[in-house]
Amino acid sequence: MTRFDYDDSDVVVVVGSGAGGGTLAHELCKRGFKTVVLEAGPHLTGEDYHNDEWKAFGQMAWTDPRTTSGSWAIAKDFPNLPAWIVKAVGGTTTHWAGACPRFKAHELAARTAYGDIDGASLLDWPITLSELEPYYDQAEIKMGVSHRHGRPPLPANNNYKVFANGAEKVGYRDYATGPYATNAEPYDGRPATVQDGFNFQGDKHGSKWSTLVAELPKAEATGNLDLRADSHVAQILHDTDGRATGVLYVDRNGTLRRQRAAVVCVAGNSIETARLLLLSASTQFPDGLANSSGQVGRNYMRHTTGTVWGQFDKPVRMYRGETMAGVIGDEARLDTDRGFAGGYYMQTIALGPAFFGKFVAPGSWGPALTDVVDKYLNTAGMWIVGEDMPQESNRVTLSETVDEYGLPAANVHFDDHPNDVLMRRHGHQQGAAVYKAVGATNTIETPPYPSTHNLGTCRMSQRPGDGVVDRFGRAHDVPNLFVSDGSVFTTGGAANPTLTIVALAIRQAEYIAGQYRTARS
Amino acid sequence: MSTLLSDSQRRTLVDLLRAAFPHDTFPSGPYERTAQAVIDAAAASPRLQALLVQGLRDLDQQREVPFSELDRETAAVVLRGIADTPFFAGILDVAVVALYDDHEVWDVLGYEGASYDQGGYLNRGFDDLDWLPDPRIESYEEASA
Repeated sequence: MTRFDYDDSDVVVVVGSGAGGGTLAHELCKRGFKTVVLEAGPHLTGEDYHNDEWKAFGQMAWTDPRTTSGSWAIAKDFPNLPAWIVKAVGGTTTHWAGACPRFKAHELAARTAYGDIDGASLLDWPITLSELEPYYDQAEIKMGVSHRHGRPPLPANNNYKVFANGAEKVGYRDYATGPYATNAEPYDGRPATVQDGFNFQGDKHGSKWSTLVAELPKAEATGNLDLRADSHVAQILHDTDGRATGVLYVDRNGTLRRQRAAVVCVAGNSIETARLLLLSASTQFPDGLANSSGQVGRNYMRHTTGTVWGQFDKPVRMYRGETMAGVIGDEARLDTDRGFAGGYYMQTIALGPAFFGKFVAPGSWGPALTDVVDKYLNTAGMWIVGEDMPQESNRVTLSETVDEYGLPAANVHFDDHPNDVLMRRHGHQQGAAVYKAVGATNTIETPPYPSTHNLGTCRMSQRPGDGVVDRFGRAHDVPNLFVSDGSVFTTGGAANPTLTIVALAIRQAEYIAGQYRTARS
Repeated sequence: MSTLLSDSQRRTLVDLLRAAFPHDTFPSGPYERTAQAVIDAAAASPRLQALLVQGLRDLDQQREVPFSELDRETAAVVLRGIADTPFFAGILDVAVVALYDDHEVWDVLGYEGASYDQGGYLNRGFDDLDWLPDPRIESYEEASA
């Protein structure tokens, strides 16, 4: 195991080891950069994971204190759990389901495509799809995405059979079992899926791409990676020139350490990334580091989501096989005639009885709940995931509540935009239609789960006043500070974000390598 | 863990859970274990324990006979009347997790639980649904190419 000195000021420090941080670290290590990855969570591996929903949740989820406000359902249903993300090496890639759609061209130019929408802070990305495409290719090859670059599709599981037959019956054409970053056959040293039905609990088999099983081991093999688990970054330090000089972090023994650095890259997932920048306020940066625009923490997005369950008079057994292994893309099209801007995907989802009982109708009891649970075996499920409107007031700020180290926790404020409400309603209706088309005796609409897609808060912008980072994720205010996760999304698109986070991390690594090689020679 | 709840209050709690989560197919084991989970949570939470001690006593005063002696319909009406109380919400919060995490409940619902140590569902029915035709798995473009 490589170990660099606390005072080695040549290293790149990467905060977070998930999709953005883990990928960036591998790409930098490959190019010869000494890289220190600081991960707040423990180093769990496949053997540690539990095939059990609540045990796994207790083991993996980020359950440090957070608070919520705003009119979104989450503030009422799960007031201290705004997001369902992972605190462990590999970050949220260890529990993601693997869906890999790309952004569409118009989604990277949302302000131009949708026009001026009241209350929405839409902005075009400072990158086009054609600029991003080569990196999407690299990301898909890296991750072994099904249906792409010769990778075969996943087989149809029970949940998909219901979903796809319903899709066909209502006239949808754009459905398939992917693209997913899960191996249908062995690829890149990782085995084919055994369809064990546990994704959100960590993939014991390692057939799903994650930075834990793919990027970090490869980075380690270069000899350039110093991966430190249980290391919670408390502050980014800077000098009088306004350059980042390193970070302070709490190690596994509770000791505060200083790691010096030439470059600092933050990839803590949108909520924690914004929180860390805000916690790094100083005399020179009174509103938080890289926040002269006042945009740090703003435009927090979480995708417009919901779930539709169809119940039948015959068994489905949705829990068998990959948790998510089906996508309908017809509603992801650009079509403002539906009464809302943006599009959404429908994707199969399955829960065990433990989570089904808790999430299907939060707070409910009596026959309203038990009648639905009684038909668990005959239930099929789909998740709706679509573009939500960015709003300046949807925002991560520092809370009055503090964590175990005395650091102010994040407060997540969110109000649904009217566009989000219309889209969710449309998705619920269309989802119910899919299931009714194949004989559902009843359908159930479930409100959003704690956010799994946390985006924005450090948006990418052409002009420094409009956002926090430039088109490579470099802070407008701090030349050697980068943001390397979904925080940089200017707008959210409909696509599940991981593929785009990985593509952007590959691109950012190339940029950093170009900049710092040049500077050194 | 210590509790100030009497045995009869524990029985009332089991009956409350049965009335709040009325599954005809569930045996009494899961309800009893869920009651224990609530009592265990209360042992670690003075607030919840205080709510239980007072709330279970109050519950028995709602009608002329103790809660446990009410017929199903009346018990449901009584629960609807207290649905917004911290007492009921506190119980619900623990119970909805404990009850549906009970392995005997999983058996009744037909859920098979952990599968990895048995090789997953790859050869154990992940695709055995036979009441619908096999759909295509490729995209429309891939299938028509």
